[in-house]
Amino acid sequence: MKGSFNAFEMAQAQFDKSADILALDAPTRDLLRWPLREFHFAIPVRMDDGKVKVFRGFRVQHNDARGPSKGGIRFHPQETVDTVRALSMWMTWKCAVVDIPLGGAKGGVICDPHNLSAREQEAICRGWVRQVAKNVGPAIDVPAPDVMTTPQHMVWMMDEWEVIHGHRGPGFITGKPVGMGGSLGRTEATGYGAMYTLREALKKMGIDVAKTKASVQGFGNVAQYAIQLYTKMGGTVVAVSSWDQADQTSYTFRRESGVDGAELKTITDPFGGIDKAKAKALGYEVKAGGDWIAEDVDILIPAALENQVTGETARRIGKRVKVVVEGANGPTTPEADAILKERGIFVIPDFLANAGGVTCSYFEQVQCNMNFYWTQEEVLTKLDAKMTKAFHDVADLAASRKLYMRDAAYVIAVSRVAKASRDRGWV
Amino acid sequence: MTPGDHLLEALQERAKELSTIYRVNEACKSPQSSLDEIFRSVVQILPAGWQFPETCFARILVDGTAYGPAGADATPWRQSAEIRVQGESSGWLEVFYRDERPEADEGPFLKEERKLLDTVAERLGQVLLERRLLDALQGRPDAAQANEPGSEWRVIVDFLRQTDPRSLVRISRRMINYLCWNGVAAAQDLLPHFAGGREALAADDNRPAPRRSAESLLGVADEAFRLASSHLTSAEIRSCIQKWIRDDKADFLLRAAENPGTSTTELAQALARFHDSHLDDRRLSRTVQVELRVSLARRFLTDDLEFVDVAKDFIDTGDFHDLVRRVISPPKSYGRLGGKASGLLLASKIVQKSTEFADALGDVRIPKTWHLTSDGILDFIEFNQLEDLYDRKYLEIDQVRREYPHVIQVFKNSHFSPEIVKGLSLALDDFGDRPLIVRSSSLLEDRVGASFSGKYKSLFLANQGPKADRLSALLDAIAEVYASVFGPDPLEYRAERGLLDVHEEMGILLQEVVGNRVGKYFLPTFAGVAFSNNEFRWSPRIAREDGLVRLVPGLGTRAVDRVGDDYPILVAPGQPGLRVNVTPADVVRYAPRRIDVIDLESGTFETMDLDRLLEECGAEIPGIEQVLSVADESGLHRPYFLDWTSKKGRFVPTFEPLLESTTFLGRMRALLRLLREKTHGPVDIEFASDGKDLYLLQCRPQSFAEESAAAPIPSDLSGDRVIFEAKRFVSNGRVPDLTHVVYVDPEAYAALPDATSLLRVGQAVGRLNKTLPKRRFVLMGPGRWGSRGDLKLGVPVTYSDINNAAALIEVARRRGGYVPDLSFGTHFFQDLVEASIRYLPLFPDDPEIRFREAFLRESPSVLAEFAPEFRDLEAVVRVIDVPKVTGGSILKLLLNADEDHAVAILAPPDPGPGSAVRSSRSAVRRRTSG
Repeated sequence: MKGSFNAFEMAQAQFDKSADILALDAPTRDLLRWPLREFHFAIPVRMDDGKVKVFRGFRVQHNDARGPSKGGIRFHPQETVDTVRALSMWMTWKCAVVDIPLGGAKGGVICDPHNLSAREQEAICRGWVRQVAKNVGPAIDVPAPDVMTTPQHMVWMMDEWEVIHGHRGPGFITGKPVGMGGSLGRTEATGYGAMYTLREALKKMGIDVAKTKASVQGFGNVAQYAIQLYTKMGGTVVAVSSWDQADQTSYTFRRESGVDGAELKTITDPFGGIDKAKAKALGYEVKAGGDWIAEDVDILIPAALENQVTGETARRIGKRVKVVVEGANGPTTPEADAILKERGIFVIPDFLANAGGVTCSYFEQVQCNMNFYWTQEEVLTKLDAKMTKAFHDVADLAASRKLYMRDAAYVIAVSRVAKASRDRGWV
Repeated sequence: MTPGDHLLEALQERAKELSTIYRVNEACKSPQSSLDEIFRSVVQILPAGWQFPETCFARILVDGTAYGPAGADATPWRQSAEIRVQGESSGWLEVFYRDERPEADEGPFLKEERKLLDTVAERLGQVLLERRLLDALQGRPDAAQANEPGSEWRVIVDFLRQTDPRSLVRISRRMINYLCWNGVAAAQDLLPHFAGGREALAADDNRPAPRRSAESLLGVADEAFRLASSHLTSAEIRSCIQKWIRDDKADFLLRAAENPGTSTTELAQALARFHDSHLDDRRLSRTVQVELRVSLARRFLTDDLEFVDVAKDFIDTGDFHDLVRRVISPPKSYGRLGGKASGLLLASKIVQKSTEFADALGDVRIPKTWHLTSDGILDFIEFNQLEDLYDRKYLEIDQVRREYPHVIQVFKNSHFSPEIVKGLSLALDDFGDRPLIVRSSSLLEDRVGASFSGKYKSLFLANQGPKADRLSALLDAIAEVYASVFGPDPLEYRAERGLLDVHEEMGILLQEVVGNRVGKYFLPTFAGVAFSNNEFRWSPRIAREDGLVRLVPGLGTRAVDRVGDDYPILVAPGQPGLRVNVTPADVVRYAPRRIDVIDLESGTFETMDLDRLLEECGAEIPGIEQVLSVADESGLHRPYFLDWTSKKGRFVPTFEPLLESTTFLGRMRALLRLLREKTHGPVDIEFASDGKDLYLLQCRPQSFAEESAAAPIPSDLSGDRVIFEAKRFVSNGRVPDLTHVVYVDPEAYAALPDATSLLRVGQAVGRLNKTLPKRRFVLMGPGRWGSRGDLKLGVPVTYSDINNAAALIEVARRRGGYVPDLSFGTHFFQDLVEASIRYLPLFPDDPEIRFREAFLRESPSVLAEFAPEFRDLEAVVRVIDVPKVTGGSILKLLLNADEDHAVAILAPPDPGPGSAVRSSRSAVRRRTSG
């Protein structure tokens, strides 16, 4: 359908913008606008009722100039190759922005796990690996969990790959359970990673973190660890909003003296919902869900869903706000982005701020390849170093080229991939 | 009252006596024992039933022989009863105290002991009679007379002539009939002798028919058997006579059961007499057996012919005898046990007596249950002169609602008649201090199409402490359940169905709660409900017949009720591999978080956080390892052992071990199939497990559950009344009065240029969800509602954007060569289920169905009225005000899974009491399904 929304076209448009800034030559653009390789294949599965059903699988390797490509495998009933292409391209940029030696890829199977028993899902996992076994591996292309795929799926896939190749190779895939080749620190990685970049941003802006206040949207995994580390660094979170499944709405929990993440965690359900009555008893004020954005704070951390900071809500942002750290994926709409730009608010864009996750996946792979596993402290220390460097690279570029942070992050990522392709003599 | 009639009362006197009678009966029943052996054991059993067993001994004197302890001589403290056979004295039963004891009702003896003694003496008389008859039948030497082969029947006839000539006359009559049917012409000549003088009447209307002397009738009897002996074999005669004697003996019970004037107590006595005479209805002739069972079922259970038809094959007379021993009734009671009790009784007998699936089923138990007959409530109302209440049901429903709290208080401050109190006290002795549930078992529940699910109360009782306290709590609870008959919800429901004028009678079911004491709590390890038909399929691979189980830890209340803020585990027993929640995060999210328990210390029903209970006393819950998985950083695991001290990870009740590694689902499958087959229809059951055994708590036809009743599809669907239609993946249900349709046009939606616009469609729907009339609008849109990945695949909404809709419809239009997959509501499936929001997939390209696209695309849209800020989406999101567009019609959505057919038709609004959509989900705490 002409003119309709297409994720891949959007990703290409975004690339074009960076390519223009970098004045990339035509061959480089041609190379990077499209994936290097695509695999489309059939996965026949014997179902529980004895009949065979054929599923369609994909693996799209967008670019591996900087290292083995990396990216998740999605199980989605309406997967399209364009979605997978777009996501593989974003993986290339994401790995490049944090400067880890990996390329970008994405894969998937058209299926709905809701309609599949565990045994059938295992058969799909093994079938997927069988079809691309020669084209994936620790030094070629490293899959990971994504939409509707789980650590269990990763272990089945790893096992199949190892059987085919006749040796162990846990570095083939990441997102595995700890003890089966998984890495410690994975739970903390995204939230902590975002806070490492925030710390550096404040340092750069000459602000003492201990004198800052923050408001956080969401109380899921990312938000909880972000609050933990930010508080440890001396900052004060005064408000956090969370989803209330029973009331089907969100609430903002506010305490001027500071939000205690650990304390709130004890009164939180698996949806990330905080118990209102208990929170009140602990001295929290319960306000409307949207109020988190209007708090009189220095830092806003949207760490829930996409499209939360919109043209409408951005107008409520308080005068004091200096930094927005995008813990969630795509929390800011283009209209809101324009407002932030205009107000001179410093934005740490999502694919830099939440790159802690992919960095930890890289660490998992490194540990697997060495067959030697680090302590949690080692993982987090190395994560800090990576994130800190990545932040400064982007911020320095933004400063020197007078770019908006989001654009600077793209530009640096694209330039790194373009350079690797040129160094290899591809273009 | 004959001494035999004392039996039932005596039974109900004291546990000690009850046990004595039971043991005496056991001794007498043993067919291998000789009379000597029986007497000797009875003598040993008796002293335990007396007040001072240590100084008590018993003696039996029969036919000159004395049975008793060696060296025991008569003392002055003696109580005796005569043993009579056929009215003749045959001996004495005596009880002695060796030394003096305090004066009581009869010397040192109590009046209850007198009754006990008389009862045992009567029983011994019966044993003597039976043995003599048996000896006669088997031609033992002491049976006198002829013992040539093949002539045993003559002995019986002679015996009857001497002992029970009336019976002989009746048997002769049946023999003559039998001979007539077998074409023996001479037998027909004998018929007039039994006709009660009909010919005589015909001859002269004014003259009384001459009374036939017993002698002359016996003469006819001789003639009848003479004829028989020349036309039938001896074996045939003997078998006929034996069957007829048994039928004859059962006659009193049949007459009692068929007579509407027999009170429950009288019928109970008749059943006891039948039982004590060692009659077994399986040995009666088929007609008498069926007649007996049918009469008893109609008397105690229901008039519903389909139910009785099934019941007669499974519930025998002995079962009714067992049942009435635990029935409490007002003195002149003609009440029944009510729908719930009947359903459970039938299901339990089906499970006990069927051989099919026995292996798969294993041992399914039924908790101990007592019943209070349905007219108990009338007795209660009369006893407290509350008759004025009957008028209240005609009041405006709002007034009823306002005044209901006062009604409850009046009921709780009223009294029960002494007979009921006595009966309940007895029940409490039987239950001990096990926690109890008091359930309503209403008569109206029997009626097809009337489901009182959740309308009447069920209350839990901790049943702890001194008996007086326990009794008073029990009476209080029953009064409260009685009061719920006059509650606004049931009355409104009855008014809607024209059932208001019927006096509602309500039986009460007292059931022990299945479970264990854990810490200070009492709870089953898990419980739930199961349905033969799955009306909430989350995958097209699940067939309706695959069934549905809703499982929760603790009391089943949270599986029966839709609690809104918590979720049961859902499994389709026929497709156990297909789970609603797939990712570990969703499994954790949609796992139960709270648990219903009985707090034995405070005596209250409590809902508590599962985590807290597990922390307090999780390790003590038997079988809890079948319920829990562990969630930690790397996902969800089934641990090999539960580490209660570890702080890493937390327990999540996934039931994975139970579902994957035990026979539970196989048993559920077998149970649902068996009950469906035997009752000829889908069922709805409640169950619980104490961690060891599986208990069946309730069973009723599934169609009784309002929400899963199939809506009849009108036969005339002509013209343009039909707006849309579906013939695949249809579940049951109806939404009778839709006023608005929100239609997201699939083509216009697909043509939107960017993600922002797509997201705005979701926001517009969320806005409409708040402004349109609650539960009176339907959402129709392309593909997958709530799509999280590619926005084009469906409108990106969360559950909060649709939670006020009455139905959610996914339109799958053919695109290129294929029809896209639909979500089946999986994005918020469990939320839809808990809120009873209907889901329906539509396939408009299917040539067999109607889809009036023009109505949806071209009717004027009122989007701007309900969501002005989304005016720009006019072409994509269309809101149709149905009455406005159609000149006053509303849209009815009728779903019928039996026909796999659903239609949305325009119809005039239902007349009737206001809007019938008032939500009846006003969840009364502590309520099960009613």
